Amino acid sequence: MVNSKEESTTKKDLLMVGFLCNWCSYGGADTAGVCRFNQPTDLRIIRIPCTGRMDPLFVVKALIYGADGVLVSGCHPKDCHYNKGNFYARRRLEVLKQFLPFMGIHTDRFRYTWVSSSEGQLWQQVVTEFSETIHGLGPNLGVHGESDAKAAMSFF
Amino acid sequence: MRIGVFVCKCGTNIAATVDTEAVARKALEYPDVVYATDYMYSCSEPGQQEIQQAIEKYDLQGVVVAACSPRMHEVTFRRAVEKAGLNRYMFEQANIREHCSWISKDTEANTRKAMDLVRMSVEKLRFNQPLFSSQVPINKRVLVIGGGISGIQAALDCAEGGLEVVMVERESTIGGKMAKLDKTFPTIDCSSCILGPKMVDVAQNENIHLYAYSEIESVSGYMGNFKVGIRKKATYVDWDACTGCGLCTEKCPAKKSFDGFNEGLDTTTAINIPFPQAIPKKARIDPKYCWYLIKEKCKICQKICPVDAIRFDMENETVEEEVGAIIVATGFDLVDHSVYGEYGGGHYPDVITGLQFERLVSASGPYGGHILRPSDGKEPKNIVFIACVGSRDPSIGRPYCSGICCMYIAKQVILARDHIPDCNCYVFYIDIRAPGKNYEEFVRRAQEDYGVQYIRGRVGKVYPKGEHLVVQGIDTLLGIQVEVEADLVVLATGVAASAGAKELAEKLRISYDEYGFYMESHPKLRPVETNTAGVFLAGVCQGPKDIPASVAQGSAAAAKTQALFSRDTIETDPQIARVNELMCIGCGKCIDVCPFGSIQWKTLRDGSQKAEVLDTVCQGCGLCNATCPPKAIQLQHCTDDQILAEIEVLCAGERHG
Amino acid sequence: MEDKTKTLQREFLKVFEKLEVVLGWEPGYDSLHATPSFIRQAQDLNRLVWNPLCSQNLCTYLVKTLNASVREDDKKIGICVKGCDSRSLVALIQEKFVTRETLYIVGIPCEGTVDWRRLMRLEPSLKDVQEVHIEGNELDVETAQKTYRFPLQHVLEQRCLHCRYPNPIIYDLLIGELITPHASDDQAYGDIEKIEQYSLPDRLKFWEKELDRCIRCYACRNACPLCVCRDSCIAETRSPKWLAQRCDLKEKFFYHMIHAMHLAGRCTECGECERVCPVEIPVTLIKKKLNQIVKELLDYEAGIDPQKQPPLLTFDPSEKGI
Repeated sequence: MVNSKEESTTKKDLLMVGFLCNWCSYGGADTAGVCRFNQPTDLRIIRIPCTGRMDPLFVVKALIYGADGVLVSGCHPKDCHYNKGNFYARRRLEVLKQFLPFMGIHTDRFRYTWVSSSEGQLWQQVVTEFSETIHGLGPNLGVHGESDAKAAMSFF
Repeated sequence: MRIGVFVCKCGTNIAATVDTEAVARKALEYPDVVYATDYMYSCSEPGQQEIQQAIEKYDLQGVVVAACSPRMHEVTFRRAVEKAGLNRYMFEQANIREHCSWISKDTEANTRKAMDLVRMSVEKLRFNQPLFSSQVPINKRVLVIGGGISGIQAALDCAEGGLEVVMVERESTIGGKMAKLDKTFPTIDCSSCILGPKMVDVAQNENIHLYAYSEIESVSGYMGNFKVGIRKKATYVDWDACTGCGLCTEKCPAKKSFDGFNEGLDTTTAINIPFPQAIPKKARIDPKYCWYLIKEKCKICQKICPVDAIRFDMENETVEEEVGAIIVATGFDLVDHSVYGEYGGGHYPDVITGLQFERLVSASGPYGGHILRPSDGKEPKNIVFIACVGSRDPSIGRPYCSGICCMYIAKQVILARDHIPDCNCYVFYIDIRAPGKNYEEFVRRAQEDYGVQYIRGRVGKVYPKGEHLVVQGIDTLLGIQVEVEADLVVLATGVAASAGAKELAEKLRISYDEYGFYMESHPKLRPVETNTAGVFLAGVCQGPKDIPASVAQGSAAAAKTQALFSRDTIETDPQIARVNELMCIGCGKCIDVCPFGSIQWKTLRDGSQKAEVLDTVCQGCGLCNATCPPKAIQLQHCTDDQILAEIEVLCAGERHG
Repeated sequence: MEDKTKTLQREFLKVFEKLEVVLGWEPGYDSLHATPSFIRQAQDLNRLVWNPLCSQNLCTYLVKTLNASVREDDKKIGICVKGCDSRSLVALIQEKFVTRETLYIVGIPCEGTVDWRRLMRLEPSLKDVQEVHIEGNELDVETAQKTYRFPLQHVLEQRCLHCRYPNPIIYDLLIGELITPHASDDQAYGDIEKIEQYSLPDRLKFWEKELDRCIRCYACRNACPLCVCRDSCIAETRSPKWLAQRCDLKEKFFYHMIHAMHLAGRCTECGECERVCPVEIPVTLIKKKLNQIVKELLDYEAGIDPQKQPPLLTFDPSEKGI
């Protein structure tokens, strides 16, 4: 279905996946763009209607399948366009953030923030800081085991 | 699937830092992409035509445009592809401008990023489904909750426009707080003179049905089709018979009834009409004070009522109304100033609120329009007004400005000086907020023409001294402490959300801020709409404001309602949740979390229970989708498969070193 | 233990006419196993037993097998619960999968159940077992040949060693004396702390090694009383496709994360998932960690108060912990 991953030992461009809520943070990122605020180029944004749509398992999927960092951003709590979505998100994502290190994934590879539509500068700061953090942690080597399909194929 | 990719150069906005040709070329390598090109301005007419022609020529089933932010032009492009015969949801837009070309000058990195973003959009599109709206009929009746000036204005405007209006007012009369005012700023118009005719219009308008002394019990349904349960509280008087003659109030022996209309400055009879211009002009019995209802003695009113309207056995009654839109105009209450122990904590009878002062000044007030001290009935010679009591005060959790107090203090000092020409008036203020038309000039008049002493500083303490009150404050402009011996102290108490605001909001499924003021859709661009479709706001319930602004919002809400009703049906947005009944396990978690109550139970023929989404109520937030354990409920156009596709294609992609 | 078995049979017989079915345990396929028992006729009640081999959590059958939320008549479901099982019952009531009124609950305070794998490792030659019972701090295993004695610490299930709720917290009838818990509240997460002493890369290696054995049999999911999605489970659906079926550690790792996160704030630590795992992966650790986070952050433990709701299904506008 998709291109196979070519693992290179030196990755300059790390992969940061962003989930931004349409009403606030995506608008904030747009505002940052309109103001031409310079940002690192690592981030790839997926648009969702609300952080309430955010199943924490999307973050887990990204991290297990090789993303180096995942950033989720939404409306400030109490300002949710849909009233309550980000209240649920806040709890679920905080639980996830504290859980990841138990499984051996660095907690800083996942970050969630609240950025409103007008906060272009804040968005620039968030992206820059997050990119620095991820580059500091280095590439996510992912999850590997003996049962990996590639390893199994090497039998034949 | 046959997908076409169109990479926009956007003049030099994108082309300057992204190699659009390379992005288009790369796109041809992606699965299902059969055509890819770059173009100067995709959103322009020739740009859109290029897309439409390509759809026809290459028999495209889906289109990706890589350009500006979809928040900008998604609607434009969706319309364009729809004109060419595609379903408008078979379209994806990759943001390679605001999120890419504009935020970095590294052309190589930007081009790679743009390629990734196009790849993501292509992959999502491969999982898109055509979506279709449905048409739902609208019930062109409007409910106005609250009979204050905003509600009255909204109701009159709607009725003028030919709509049927149902108005529900909690008190036994409409008029709200404005009915309690004597004069209004900055014109010193008599409040009941300007409000009275409007109230009568409401009563006489054929299109307006008024439920006074009633409250909202329940709200269900959705925009265009609300079902509202209204609880008509027992008045113990048959309002169909009552003529408002007032004979019962003259003879009622229970004279110690709390007089809410006069803000507790006075007592009234247990059976009463709140004020002479009340609409509806009907009597009601306060069950807390009526001798018959408490201890079964009396019944004088029943004996003397000329039309036999008294009904001691009356009970609350619930009726149901069906409406298509709801305008919330529930107004405000005053902040409880008893939290300020330094001002007496509500115990000093001569420390009163601004609204109580209005009642003193009013001719229909407790003292017939004479400003007298509540404690001994003497005329005050020194009156002190303290601004910002309960406003601009983070220490009691009210950091906001109530917006009207500076103005009404100015009005009240002018009235005080008019009523008692030789009295001394002092105003302790922090700032003067006079933003409206003629407002600044009005305050100047109070300061300069009426000889009122404006002292910039706060008051630390008010305490009794003999018959008087000592007001201890500071004059920051002179840098000295000030003490004023006052006969009457008026606290400009701030504006708070109306009692019961939060409970009503929950019934209506609208949100409120930490103070209980209702949340508008957008603070600047949509001040009278809420995030709940079909529910509009007007007046102080949305935030502190003066009468002109309240009236404006009442008209605005009416205009929104008229616009909503200008068609006979509403088109639903298909980007909503949908349940796959085969996978649904009937756990009900989605029903519990939905912020809009748009999911309900559905019983299948075999008795099993499944979730069902109401098309017209669902706002498309996706919380249900995230909560559902088997993911049986999917947010259309943002399904799990679509998001997972974007994640997987990113994680599997090449990284460059 | 003998008299508890008799008590159980007697008590159920008394009320049997009001019950549609009784869920209990009966002797299993060999003398070291008990097995869940569905008694639908009064004369079969004498099959019921109570002993330290009764490890299964019978609550798992309420929704998945008996469809307990849909009752056609007034008859109740009789069920035996240990302390840990009773928490699962409360959790099912919290999430409205079953109503209290449809159940007749017999609670049995439990000193622990035997992990037969540990037992066999200690004494591989064990056979002809006739009776198993707990005497103080030891397990007595009587065979035809002799009586073995094992310290409880060595033969109980892992979940029993950390047990804080040996006494059922919900019941219509309690059989037996109340028991002191094996572990106190601050010892509850000792096994979690052990893992957290490893460095981050070592933790990943640990889980890679453990989860690589997983054969995606889904026994853990099937045994869990709160996992009621059955055929709709996203581990196996094609639409939406969360997991591929290929034999790859990524898929297995992700599956266990999905399972654990779907139970976050709901898991009652009954330990069934770990007990049934054919390749002995310590899966309860993952769920316990999530429970610890939910407890510290949101001050909530699943399956204690029937009136409360799992916190990840609710919210607090002015979140105190976060």
